Amino acid sequence: MSSSFDFLSQVKNRETTTLLPWVMAIMVYLSCLAATGSLLLDSGFDDWASSLQGRITVQVTGEDRDAIIAESLEIQQVLRTTPGIVSVRILSDGEISDLLEPWLGAGNITDDLPIPIMIDLGTAEDVYINLDALEINIKAISDNVYLDDHAQWLSHFYNLAYTVEYTALGILVMILLASVCIVIFGTKSSMSEHKSTIEIMHLMGAHDQMIAKTYQNRFMYYGFKGGIIGLVFSFLTVFGLLILIQNLAAGLVEMPTLPYLKLASLLLFPVLFALLCMLTARITVMRVLGRMV
Amino acid sequence: MVEFRNVSMSYNKGFDVLKDISFKLEPGSMHFLTGPSGAGKTSLLRLMYLANRPSRGEIIMFGRDVAKAARDDLPKLRRRIGVVFQDFRLLDHMSAVDNVALPLRIAGGSGPQIVEHVEELLSWVGLDDRMLANPSTLSGGEKQRVAIARAVIRRPDILLADEPTGNVDPEMSERLMYLFVELNKLGTTIVIATHDNNLVEKIGAPRLHLEGGKLLHLEGTKKTVDLNADIDEGTS
Repeated sequence: MSSSFDFLSQVKNRETTTLLPWVMAIMVYLSCLAATGSLLLDSGFDDWASSLQGRITVQVTGEDRDAIIAESLEIQQVLRTTPGIVSVRILSDGEISDLLEPWLGAGNITDDLPIPIMIDLGTAEDVYINLDALEINIKAISDNVYLDDHAQWLSHFYNLAYTVEYTALGILVMILLASVCIVIFGTKSSMSEHKSTIEIMHLMGAHDQMIAKTYQNRFMYYGFKGGIIGLVFSFLTVFGLLILIQNLAAGLVEMPTLPYLKLASLLLFPVLFALLCMLTARITVMRVLGRMV
Repeated sequence: MVEFRNVSMSYNKGFDVLKDISFKLEPGSMHFLTGPSGAGKTSLLRLMYLANRPSRGEIIMFGRDVAKAARDDLPKLRRRIGVVFQDFRLLDHMSAVDNVALPLRIAGGSGPQIVEHVEELLSWVGLDDRMLANPSTLSGGEKQRVAIARAVIRRPDILLADEPTGNVDPEMSERLMYLFVELNKLGTTIVIATHDNNLVEKIGAPRLHLEGGKLLHLEGTKKTVDLNADIDEGTS
C-alpha cells in the first residue's frame, strides 16, 4: 500500500534537524551514565550487604588490656555454646590495625591507643538468635561489651541504596521523555520546513505512511548515529572514573564487582534510542498529516 | 465524470467563497473556468483536486461522492487527477526530471523506464537541455512546462490547470494547449482556469464562468481552431 520513496533524500541545504544526532548522542551519553551508575551501585550494595549479613560483631572495650583479653576469652566460650552461632573468632591485633589504617593512617596506631577486642561471629541462616538474651548473657561477664548485628545500619544502607537506584532510574526515564519531546519538536520543525513539499506529495496521492516512512527512517538513523557516539563516550567516561576511584579509594571503600553482563545491556541503548526516535517521528508525522484533508 | 450538486465552500468556517454551485462535466470533455480574480476559480479547482472538502453539497467524481469519501480512499483518487498549479509548486531540491517523475514514484514506480518516459516528455515540452536543472535556476516559462509535464506524466483521468499558459510565450502557449487537446482526445477530462479570453475563444471549449463565488453560466461553444493545423503551420 505504501511504497518507499525518500522524497527528502536530495535536500542539500542545512536542515533544522542537522544537530539532532548530537542531541541524541548527549541523551544516550547521559542515559548510559545513569544506567551504569545504577547498575554499579546495585552491584556494590549487594556485595557490601551480603558481606555483613549473617555476621555479628562483639566489641569488648576497657582501659586494662589484660582484663579485656581475659573477658574476651570468657565471652568466646559463652558464644561457642550458643545455638545458631556457627563460628567465633577473635580478630588479631594486625587485622584490627588493617581495619583502622585507612582512617588513621599508616604508622599512627600506637600501643597507647585504647583499641578494643573485636569478636567476629558467623550465624546459621535458618536459626533465629535472640540477640537481647545473648547480650544479657555476655553483659554478665563485662559491662563494656557491645553487640552489633548491623541490622540498623543495614536498614539505612538499603534505604539509601534504593533511593539512589530509583533516582538513577528516574533520571533515565526523564532523559527518555526529554528525548521524545526533542524528536517531536524536530519532526514538527522539519515538517514545517518542508511543508510545501509534503503538501505536493499529499496532493499527488502519497499515502501518509509513505511520508511518515521518510521521516521515521531519517530519525531512526539520527537516533542510532547519536546512540553509538553517546555510548562510546559514556564507556570512556565510566572506564576513566573507575580507574580514578580505584586509585583514590584503595582500601577505604571496597570496589564493587563489575556486573559485566548487565553492563553489556547498555550496548542496546543505541538501538533503543533509534527505535524510540523512529516511533516518535512516525506517530508525530501521522498525527500532523491526519489533520490534513 | 465530474458533477457538483449544490456545492458551497468556506475556509475555516468563514464566509462562503463558493455558493451553491451545480454543474456536470461529461467524461472526456474540456472546459475553461473563467471569472475575475477572487471569483472562486482556485477554490473550485481545490475541491476538484481534493485538497478541500465542501461545507455543503455533493461532488461526484469517479462514480462516487468524493466529498464524503473516507480519508484513506483519497490518495488513490488523487492519483487519477493531474494538477498544474498557478505557482507551479515544484520541489526546489529536485531536478526537473525528478519533479516530473514524482507522480510515478508516488505511485510506486521505479527504475530506468521512468526516467526514459520523463525525459521524452520533457523533451517534447522543449526542455531537453534543462532536465537536470533545479527549479530555482529555471525561468518562469520553463517552470510552467515542468509543472505541466508533471501533471500529465501519469495520463490522468482528470487534468486541472490553473492559469497554465500565464508565463509562456504565445508559441509555447499553443504548444502546451496542443498537449492538453491531445490528452483530451485520449479521454482525459480537462478543466483550465484562465483569464486569457483569446485562448478561450481560440480553443472554443465550453466555459464555466464564476463571479463572486457563484457559477453564472455554463456556456458551450464549438471549437473554432484546429490546433494541429496551427502548429503545423507554425513549424512549416
